[in-house]
Amino acid sequence: MKTLIEFYPVFIFLLVSFGFTVAPMVIAFLIAPRTSGAKTLNTYECGADPFGGAWIRYASVYYIYALIFIAFDVDVLYLFPLAVSYTRGGNAYEFYSLLVFIALLALAVIYAWGKGVFTWKRKIL
Amino acid sequence: MGKRSFYLETKDPIIKFAMLEKVLDLARANSLWPLQFGLACCAIEMMSTAMARFDMDRFGAGIFRSTPRQADLMIVSGTVTKKMAPLLVTLYEQMPSPKWVLAMGNCAISGGPFVYEGQYNVVEGVDLLVPVDVYVPGCPPRPEGLLEGLMKLEEKITGTRRFPTPEKRW
Amino acid sequence: MLEKIRAELPELSISEVSYPERGYHLAMDAGREQILKVVGFFDKNGFYLEDLFCVDYVEYLELVYFFNNHCGLFRVKTVVRLEPDKPTAPTISDIYAIAHWYEREIHEFFGVYFENHPNLAYLFLHDGLDSYPLRKGTVKVPEEDRKLLGSGAYKESEDTFFVNLGPQHPSTHGVLRVVIKMDGEYILSAEPMLGYLHRMHEKMAENRNYAQFLPNPGRMDYLSALNFNLAYVETVEKISGIIVPERAQYIRTITCELNRISSHLLWLGAFLADLGGLTPFLYAFDDRENILDILEGVTGSRLTYSYFRFGGLFNDVDEKFADGTRAFLERMWKRLDIYDQLITKNVIFINRTKGVGILERDMVRKFGCSGPVIRGSGVPFDMRKLEPYAAYQHTDFEIPVAQNGDILDRYMIRVKEIETSLRIIGSALEKLPAGPFNAEKVPKKLKPPKGDVYHTVESPRGQLGVYLVSDGSETPHRMRWRVPSYSNLMTFPFLAQGVLIADAVAILGSLDLVIPEIDR
Repeated sequence: MKTLIEFYPVFIFLLVSFGFTVAPMVIAFLIAPRTSGAKTLNTYECGADPFGGAWIRYASVYYIYALIFIAFDVDVLYLFPLAVSYTRGGNAYEFYSLLVFIALLALAVIYAWGKGVFTWKRKIL
Repeated sequence: MGKRSFYLETKDPIIKFAMLEKVLDLARANSLWPLQFGLACCAIEMMSTAMARFDMDRFGAGIFRSTPRQADLMIVSGTVTKKMAPLLVTLYEQMPSPKWVLAMGNCAISGGPFVYEGQYNVVEGVDLLVPVDVYVPGCPPRPEGLLEGLMKLEEKITGTRRFPTPEKRW
Repeated sequence: MLEKIRAELPELSISEVSYPERGYHLAMDAGREQILKVVGFFDKNGFYLEDLFCVDYVEYLELVYFFNNHCGLFRVKTVVRLEPDKPTAPTISDIYAIAHWYEREIHEFFGVYFENHPNLAYLFLHDGLDSYPLRKGTVKVPEEDRKLLGSGAYKESEDTFFVNLGPQHPSTHGVLRVVIKMDGEYILSAEPMLGYLHRMHEKMAENRNYAQFLPNPGRMDYLSALNFNLAYVETVEKISGIIVPERAQYIRTITCELNRISSHLLWLGAFLADLGGLTPFLYAFDDRENILDILEGVTGSRLTYSYFRFGGLFNDVDEKFADGTRAFLERMWKRLDIYDQLITKNVIFINRTKGVGILERDMVRKFGCSGPVIRGSGVPFDMRKLEPYAAYQHTDFEIPVAQNGDILDRYMIRVKEIETSLRIIGSALEKLPAGPFNAEKVPKKLKPPKGDVYHTVESPRGQLGVYLVSDGSETPHRMRWRVPSYSNLMTFPFLAQGVLIADAVAILGSLDLVIPEIDR
């Protein structure tokens, strides 16, 4: 219970960020007029009617892009507490273990690079 | 061409009182975001107005949005043909409220120089399609004319003019 | 060349025509069965299809084909006579690819059916018309045609989706709608849909007399309105036999070149805005305002000029014009360095434009491209050198040509054309003769003699042609405008196949299209 109270900055941060995103939507809902026409909720397609469906099979290279993003994201997640605690002074052992950690995560990106995920052909037909 | 009137329903906001409306009108008038809707020759003059010499950005109206979802002023600059008319109405409906329309140039006001006996393709004026707030005549109107149209629109929204009208000298 | 034609096609009636009076060298009369053979002959001998249109003489219709050569000037007019109700003709779209769109246009305006045409759908007009617009009387569109002329059905499949590069978009070509079939980030097929700005110029020409039509060419291509004005005025002068004094020729040249610079500057700004660089837009418009001020002092308008009259100009230029132009020339030579540093040496720009959108020479011939598009592919084809008009034969200039045919080459050619125009203006200003600026005794209501004439002019986008049929009255019988952006645009579906969509937008920008001139 005592340790939970120590996290009060995080709770205040959570509440403020929530309010920051929701408050403009609430204000706009309250003070702006609303309009609706025959085509208001259509997808914007430069004025024309969209045709053809949007639920299609995409190329798998987009999936691999998402995987690379996840690799980076998890990277950052683990580096946050490291960045906070790094200022308390450390020794060489911590630095080298951190380097090994980052290198292992970077291997995923280098593998993708070697496999050609980042190069797109200029012209395919 | 379709029906002349269109289905558009506008609901009033939930909270509405005079002081708030005044402040909001002032805010909206000084940051009108136009929709990039250049059709023909007047579009070039509209672009000139947005450029460095006749800067439209100093009146808050310099950011031209490509999507109607983020715009509140539609400057119809150029001739509206019967093929283009349904698309114009769709774009108008896709703009969120409150929105205004500025008809720029003779073609948008009443068909312009392309109206002749037996014409088959030009909509004679964009006010046959959407409600228009300000008309700026000219073929094409000078950039100063478009800026004056903007001033008139701001006057229509807030009730007061930003700069005094220049007095007639002749 | 004439002997070769006579040898291979002996059964046609060929007549030689005086080129300075009529604008073309040969007139040929072909029947409906022979036209395919004739077109095949021209294709084998390296001609390109300059124009294909229809003229309605009330008892019969005439399909007119104009062929010309990129290497030397030899213009041949071939005519096929058709009967007025249910006219049919064979299609030539498998020989010349650009004829596909010309024939679609003829079908929707005149009602001519083309056999074996892959897709005879509406191109310019919307679906609600009852009668064919450009026919002289009211000829109703039959019911079975109405069903066939729709907007085209698209086959959907599991892996691809359709996107509208719609009529409302941040590029500044105008209202062009391209329906793109995409597979992820690549384009599989792109189809332009035109007609969103069809303002009936050709029909208006038949309803107005020659002087009343003067405002119209400027609205067709508003960026180079003076070049279009020049084409119209020179065509009417050619058919009426009016001789323009020297001073007017020089001033026409100077103002047309100023307009060319302003059009290229706007293209520069808009093209880089398409690529994402928004800064050169401001610089280009700043220089352009300078030109507009000079021209406004002389013509009275900023954008859509109607400065030329039959036989000369509206009014004379004064010293202020000459001083302003000289000051502008000095200023512009220095400003070109800014563009060089900002754009040409930019690594991102070079990477995006080098090797992209390569247009080969044979495709250029099949489509009849012109202007910087064809000069970028290595063909030195410029009407100012090939068919000099106004005062171009007295000025000394070189045409820039590039070899690769990619976007970077077309950009470099346009920048070099700005320099060429500056030189032409400089030399024309020095040689400006004194004298009258208007021909005397031009009648107020022009009634040119009967006949037809073809005249071409080099607009900033390419070769602009006007074909005028006069029947001796005050209004033209038929005026046809051969616009350069039409044939340049039709290479886009072929260039954009299989490229990334960002490259396709760059290709579209590099073709320098102005849609109101396509839609006329």
